Amino acid sequence: MFKYIVQRLIIFLPTLLVVSLVAFSLSKLAPGDPVELLLKGQAGESGQKASVQAYEEVARRLGLDLPVFYGALSTAAYPDTLYKIVKKAERENLDKLISQYGNWPQISGYYLTLKQLEAGTQNIVADSVSYLAKNTISRQVKELLLNHKDAKIAYALTEIQKIMPDSGAIITLAPLIEQLNANYQKIKTEASPQKNYIPSIKWYGFKNQYHRWITNFFKGNFGYSYLDSRPVGSKMWDALRWTLIINFISIILAYIIAIPIGVSTAIKKDTPYDRIVTTLLFILYSLPSFWIGTLLIVFFTTSEYSPFLDWFPTGGVTDLPESTPFFTRAIDIMHHLILPVFCVTYGSFAFISRQMRGGMLTVVRQDYIRTAKAKGLEEKSIIWKHAFRNSLFPIITLFAYIFPAAIAGSVTIEVIYSIPGMGKLAVDSIVARDWPVVFTILMFAAILTMIGNLVADLLYALADPRVSYSKK
Amino acid sequence: MFFRKKKEQQIETAIQQRSTDQSYWANVKRQFRKNRVAVWSLRVFYVILFIAVFADFLSNERPLVCKLDGNLMFPVLKQYAVSAGLSSWNEKFVTTPWHEHQYDFAIWPPIPYSSTTIDKKNRNFTSPFDRQEVKSGRWHHLLGTDELGRDVAAGMIHGTRIAISVGVIAMTIASVIGILLGSLAGYFGDNNLQMSRIRLVLNLLGLALGIFYAFVARGYALGAGAEESGFMWQLLISFGIFTGIMVAANLLASVLKKVPGLSSRVNIAADILVMRLIEVFNSIPGLLLILSIVALTKPSIMNVMIIIGFISWTSIARFIRAELLRIRNLEYIEAAQAMGFGEARIIFRHAIPNALTPVLITIAFGIASAILTEAFLSFLGIGVAAEEVTWGSLLNLARTKFQAWWLAIFPGTAIFITVTIFNLIGEGLTDALDPRLKQ
Repeated sequence: MFKYIVQRLIIFLPTLLVVSLVAFSLSKLAPGDPVELLLKGQAGESGQKASVQAYEEVARRLGLDLPVFYGALSTAAYPDTLYKIVKKAERENLDKLISQYGNWPQISGYYLTLKQLEAGTQNIVADSVSYLAKNTISRQVKELLLNHKDAKIAYALTEIQKIMPDSGAIITLAPLIEQLNANYQKIKTEASPQKNYIPSIKWYGFKNQYHRWITNFFKGNFGYSYLDSRPVGSKMWDALRWTLIINFISIILAYIIAIPIGVSTAIKKDTPYDRIVTTLLFILYSLPSFWIGTLLIVFFTTSEYSPFLDWFPTGGVTDLPESTPFFTRAIDIMHHLILPVFCVTYGSFAFISRQMRGGMLTVVRQDYIRTAKAKGLEEKSIIWKHAFRNSLFPIITLFAYIFPAAIAGSVTIEVIYSIPGMGKLAVDSIVARDWPVVFTILMFAAILTMIGNLVADLLYALADPRVSYSKK
Repeated sequence: MFFRKKKEQQIETAIQQRSTDQSYWANVKRQFRKNRVAVWSLRVFYVILFIAVFADFLSNERPLVCKLDGNLMFPVLKQYAVSAGLSSWNEKFVTTPWHEHQYDFAIWPPIPYSSTTIDKKNRNFTSPFDRQEVKSGRWHHLLGTDELGRDVAAGMIHGTRIAISVGVIAMTIASVIGILLGSLAGYFGDNNLQMSRIRLVLNLLGLALGIFYAFVARGYALGAGAEESGFMWQLLISFGIFTGIMVAANLLASVLKKVPGLSSRVNIAADILVMRLIEVFNSIPGLLLILSIVALTKPSIMNVMIIIGFISWTSIARFIRAELLRIRNLEYIEAAQAMGFGEARIIFRHAIPNALTPVLITIAFGIASAILTEAFLSFLGIGVAAEEVTWGSLLNLARTKFQAWWLAIFPGTAIFITVTIFNLIGEGLTDALDPRLKQ
């Protein structure tokens, strides 16, 4: 038994590692520049453009100035310090330039001149002569930072040449512009695209984004929401509360109703009662909960169809403010939760009943039940004392499966009834592209599922020692 | 769909415990036919399939046959030629809606609207029982309209086609991956996949080089460079390069194997590797994973199908594995090995065909769950283009207007019936496969 537990735990760790890699790489694939999203969230409606310093500070705080992973397989043309360029769009553009020309020294020279020009243009105090030129140059420099196609770069460069006046403050930039042109020509003449076909493996060490993310994750620091800069952890705990309330009520209800029904149908096997209940359970099990949720909310929450059908509030968890007395508020919350809890419950209830019936039927066929009957024991005591207890174990282990499934499954109901739980948080964050929240929830749900599976397997092994022996 | 895992385990054990019955296809068929519910479900499935295949002929804003200005035309058929790029519409059909021409005669499809046709006169949720502003009863919107004035019945028929294609495409992808990996794990187990040391080294090296030359070095061609020549084409080239490198590595291995010292054999625990991979996939809640991947890609129904397929292969792999664990010990496989057939031939020609029946169960359940997932995604409006009409998106409209009961009832019923049909077929197959499971 002990050996089995240890084995099971050893399997747990690599799986966790792979799951974390999946979540991390998905978060890296997410579109948009995290720093800009975060700054936009902070600036709110004012829409102020963040300064370069602010950008770099946020990037450093998010650890985006670190390499992505411990090591990388890349081309020989690819420099191992490219990650130090924190602006995502610029970095990606340089990446494309490297793929085209393969000569990083020249490209970096070009990039540095471009950055100097950008800073230089900003520092110019525009007089009447330079005003137009300054605007054009800073616009074209921005274009250059984001373009990698020869035609577009050439166009921007000639635009800059054309607009340059002969006098004014901006004239100090002329040497820089010349250098920029020269550097770009150098990229093209000294191109070494063959370097793109030589593989090279780079090792960055432990100071990298993944390492930082995963260690922070286990320390309980999940990052910050792009939307309101709140810590993801606190957002999640708020949401988790509602999901837990709903799922606990619904799981307990489901067990309380399902077990007697499962047992009674098993006892009365092949009677009309059994057939009708089993069919009903199957239909219940197949009804998609988001349809039932929609139907209930459409017909029973407004007086649209009949004033007598306006039984429940339309959505949310409560209409009352925090200050109302606890008891009144609790009643109101319960009123709000009746429909969602029903929708979450009926599916698992049908499933557990079917399982209970199946488990009971297997046990009833066993020899020791026949022996008990032959001994002349009372029917009731056979069922509840001998059969029921033994058929209960698989149902209990089911709990470990149901719990994580319920967390993921209540997505539907939470969205329909606007309950601020985990599922709704996940969907809202996906729609708002608030990736830190999305991938933390994904990671959490995965860990919960894995723990659920682990507990279920261990309980199973405890209940049935054959399991741990048969798995060599 | 969230409880499938437990169910799968039960069926898996049942497969492993099953006695080795030779004529068992026939047996399965006979058992299946005995099950009245399952047979009826299969019939309903044929009806749904018919609607999905002939959706264009059942609901279309174009007439099936018409005579206009003395010319006999088959617009619905021509639509296929036009979308294939072989033909183009006459100017007047582009500028004037199909319904407004003066036809000499015209035979319209049973529902004379397409899912995208906007009937401006019957906007803002016209109920099926309301007085509708239509020319005659023939043009009545049988199941009402939505906010824009799109016919719900047409949307339902179009949705049938989408639902069935989601099921079919997702499960095709899932089957290919699942059957390959599952048979690898089941046939070889942990001890029977052996290769020479040099082949293992070269394969690992080939994998690294293949990934490098096909994807890392071609990163530009696949990303920014793909704008001109098309991404799929570039991806195909990349896969070509990858396959080429792997083949070259294996050819080299066959030659180098003859060098003494390099030919010692190493064992590869195929079963453990595949089972761990399955465990990883099962650890991540499918719906959340699909939601977050779908959100990263461009909204398109095709992407949704592919992603569902790539995530739901695990149960198929487990069934095939269980089945092959049993089959590989049968005498005819031993005979095939004794006759010196190659492993690949034994697996694909002899072992897999006999293992496919139980896979049908997972495919049936899998289609149900894929349809449900897609309906839910379009219900949330994630991953599906806004103008696409599906059952899920129609049902979602009911949330915006509670008065529109027809939007809450009809699409939901369609989802329910389709999902139940596939579940019933799956149950029927399970019973047919192993009558003992029937309780």
